[in-house]
Amino acid sequence: MSKIPRNFKLLEELEKGEKGLSAESISYGLSNQDDITMTHWNGTILGPPHSSHENRIYSLNIVCGEKYPDEPPKVNFLSKINLPCVDGEGNVVVSQFETLKNWKRSYSMETVLLELRKSMASTSNKKLVQPPEGSTYA
Amino acid sequence: MAALPKRIIKETERLISDPVPGITAYPDEANLRAFTVTMNGPDSSPYEKGIFDLELYLPDDYPMCPPKVRFLTKIYHPNIDKLGRICLDVLKDNWSPALQIRTILLSIQALLASPNPDDPLANDVADDWKKDEPKAIEVAKEWTAKYAKAKE
Repeated sequence: MSKIPRNFKLLEELEKGEKGLSAESISYGLSNQDDITMTHWNGTILGPPHSSHENRIYSLNIVCGEKYPDEPPKVNFLSKINLPCVDGEGNVVVSQFETLKNWKRSYSMETVLLELRKSMASTSNKKLVQPPEGSTYA
Repeated sequence: MAALPKRIIKETERLISDPVPGITAYPDEANLRAFTVTMNGPDSSPYEKGIFDLELYLPDDYPMCPPKVRFLTKIYHPNIDKLGRICLDVLKDNWSPALQIRTILLSIQALLASPNPDDPLANDVADDWKKDEPKAIEVAKEWTAKYAKAKE
């Protein structure tokens, strides 16, 4: 396998997101439609059922730097959430979140969002008391 | 990394030793499947005198699938969108392994010479183009002067 360059990987991810080919429980797209560098992205996660997140929609910011996908993206929640891997300002803490900590080039923004959702639904996290619905950081 | 297929090595050598007029394409040192491309706007087109940067990548399946190409320089063209993605049949369904990097780049240059607003990618640009072609051509010229300047 050859190494797909950053921009072409991001174009593939964008296309997958635009065509709705990614998982139904998450979505993502460019924050700014004419950002030719494809750095800033919006993501959403639909709260998993049978958890305190059920029926909630969480918004996130994702930043794919110049070294993406050799380095993981920076991810932060805009919607307030109580989750062990998220700090008081909404940032997903790399050392607390396996997907970012042991990042692989083959991962994508979809992987990150789905893994966060999985963490929200995990036995230890699913009953955590959550901030009021609709509240945001900053 | 797997060895580079002979076909890619041959194409690369020829691109450098016998370049297409008005086009340069060099492989990146760190990834020989990725190319940095420059393209001169065709004469008597709104892109005349512009020098456009593009990037090109040969996926693992090349030449069974087409190269991936995109403009890095902003360009006002009905078949090229805001992210520089190009709508061109030979980059999609009409690709054939008999085509090459150089033929694809020539097709892109030809697309600059003859925009096709009836098969648009950038819908707003295509609408402008169909409504008022002389005005659209003026805008394309302005963008060329503004964004596709020759490097000092």
